[in-house]
Amino acid sequence: MDWLYPFLQAVLNGILTGALYALIAMGMALIFGVMRIVNFAHGAFLMLGMYATWVIFEYGHVNPYFGFLAAGALLFAIGMAVYAGLVRHVPVQAEFMIILLTLGVSLISVDTVLLVFGADYHQLNFALLGKNFRMGQISLNAPWLISFAIALLAAFALYFFVMRTMFGRAARAIAQNPYSAPLMGINIHRVQAVTFGIGAAAAGIAGGLLLPVFYLYPDVGHLFNLKSFLMVVMGGMGSIEGAAAAGLVLGVVESLTSLYWGNEWALVVDFVLFILVLSFKPSGIFGSQRA
Amino acid sequence: MRPRASAVLIVVAVLSLAVLIGCQNKGAGNTIKIGVITSLTGSQAAFGQAHKNGYAIALEEINAKGGVNGKKIELDFYDDQSKPDQAVQGVNKLVDQDHVPIIIGSYSSESTRAIVPVVTAKQVPLLIPTAVADNIMQTGSQWIFRLCAGSGDYAKSTLDFLKNNGNPKTLAIVYENTNFGQANFNSMNALATAAGMNVVDTEAYQASSPDYKSLLQRVKGKNPEAVYLASYLLDATTLMRQSETVNLNPKYYTSAGTGFAIAEFPTDKGAGKYANYTYSVSQWLPTAKWAGSKEFDDKFFQLTKTHPSFHALQAYVALIVAVEAMKKNMTSPAAIRDQIRAIDIPMTPFGPIKFDAKGQNAHPALVTQIQNQQYKVVWPPDAAEAKPIYPTPTWAERKKKGEL
Repeated sequence: MDWLYPFLQAVLNGILTGALYALIAMGMALIFGVMRIVNFAHGAFLMLGMYATWVIFEYGHVNPYFGFLAAGALLFAIGMAVYAGLVRHVPVQAEFMIILLTLGVSLISVDTVLLVFGADYHQLNFALLGKNFRMGQISLNAPWLISFAIALLAAFALYFFVMRTMFGRAARAIAQNPYSAPLMGINIHRVQAVTFGIGAAAAGIAGGLLLPVFYLYPDVGHLFNLKSFLMVVMGGMGSIEGAAAAGLVLGVVESLTSLYWGNEWALVVDFVLFILVLSFKPSGIFGSQRA
Repeated sequence: MRPRASAVLIVVAVLSLAVLIGCQNKGAGNTIKIGVITSLTGSQAAFGQAHKNGYAIALEEINAKGGVNGKKIELDFYDDQSKPDQAVQGVNKLVDQDHVPIIIGSYSSESTRAIVPVVTAKQVPLLIPTAVADNIMQTGSQWIFRLCAGSGDYAKSTLDFLKNNGNPKTLAIVYENTNFGQANFNSMNALATAAGMNVVDTEAYQASSPDYKSLLQRVKGKNPEAVYLASYLLDATTLMRQSETVNLNPKYYTSAGTGFAIAEFPTDKGAGKYANYTYSVSQWLPTAKWAGSKEFDDKFFQLTKTHPSFHALQAYVALIVAVEAMKKNMTSPAAIRDQIRAIDIPMTPFGPIKFDAKGQNAHPALVTQIQNQQYKVVWPPDAAEAKPIYPTPTWAERKKKGEL
């Protein structure tokens, strides 16, 4: 049974990482699903969430496991502002314009952070980081566990918000038909602004939860930009539950690849999976392409 | 549309002013520019910053003494953002636009390897302060000169140290999948096997991942007596912290310097207490026996309130060497190249400087161990300032003793 513990451990590690991936991808999927916008600023939003949490920790001594809430609120505001100030003025059909626009937002965010905080990287250092729970041969790192639990809660909250509330229904109506939704009395710009805000907030919260177990520097978001796009496509282009599932799958696959083939293959397997899904099941692993 | 017209006028005015100032600068001719490429932003910014401070100290000393032949030195920095393609852009910009006669840089092996063909084609000498991958020197270029010891020296020093301190028989190599990591892996793999060690596991990894636990678990499964790691700072920190999580307990954590040898690593900005007991190859320490080391350490401390790692000193010495080579002729790259070749400085804080036919400066690599969050030289014996502690206590023992 020598293989069992490493296998279990790798699966658990993968799920812990995967939950964070899932939360990041859900934010992007929500924006894509409702507005058909590929938000290339998503990584930058994640980075801003990390910086917000870090600033609060460094100067206000607030534990990042509370600080992430402030990061989420801040990113919600930023997301709304980006929508109201920029995105809504670009016609939806101009996909290329939207890509350039969000890329621009990303560049401005990264460079602003670079100007304000410098290029230096930062890492949190607090006692909890060294805490590990050990059960026999399995060990789990406490901050990873807490981040996982909160990410899971946030993901469920997001899911219920979109699927069960009036607002969520309105957002889904826009996703289905942006032309007839306003005829049903939906204030399309208000709903889209809030949706964009929530999508950004999900990235911000994920950033805050990632911070304790990772490190940050202005360009850190680009590591997650492509990956979250990959999860959105794998999950079925805009289905948030699909993106969440894709995040978990990716986390576990990366961890297992790393265990059996070596870490250098993890990204390769990610993209092979991506190409396979696109070729054989372009509607995503869940197949329930919404809108 | 009047406001727009006036805005255009202002832009034109500003631009022409900028051009004018630019011309003036060139015409005055009281300064001479040296090109510097390093990583001021991006994931290797910690090292670029160390470089920058080292250059700043050297620049101040040189200009305080009146510069070269009455001309003040000016550094023309190009930030490669820790990316090789940007480093190549840097050479193009520095040579074609700014007409610098010599370039120092870059920081990483990856970026430096990328610019070697470019400086060779443009026929501008390149002084390499910190890039350790040996394939940089195997390009056969006549325009490159390296101050630091290379990946082969790193492996050799580490193996010499291990052989004389407990002589472990099995080794695992964990390295970042870049030019720097691969070069150190190649050197270590070949030399360890030749030395009769059994390389039981080799792990390449993708840099900047949040999770290396599965990788470390693979290493644990092979149960090596010693581990040799080649990583930059951010990953070095993650690797050490997660080694504790997966409870990986080799008798020796050795490393190819870099992330394990920079001043931040044993502090709270890096791995902190998790850095204790790790060995790393080092090119220099503030306590080094070479004249001027202490003075450099003092100046660096005054500037930054921290003690320097060898990366800063290598930048400092590189600028001194460049200026030395420019004393006879400071505009012709070919003449400067010939001067670098002829250089023979008996003593710098980095030891004597003299390049062989391939452009490599002979520099010994030391082995240090972090004890109580301080770097201590433990090898070779004539430079050692502390006894190595081995085997490394297990993570459980360290927890029990309150060391974590």
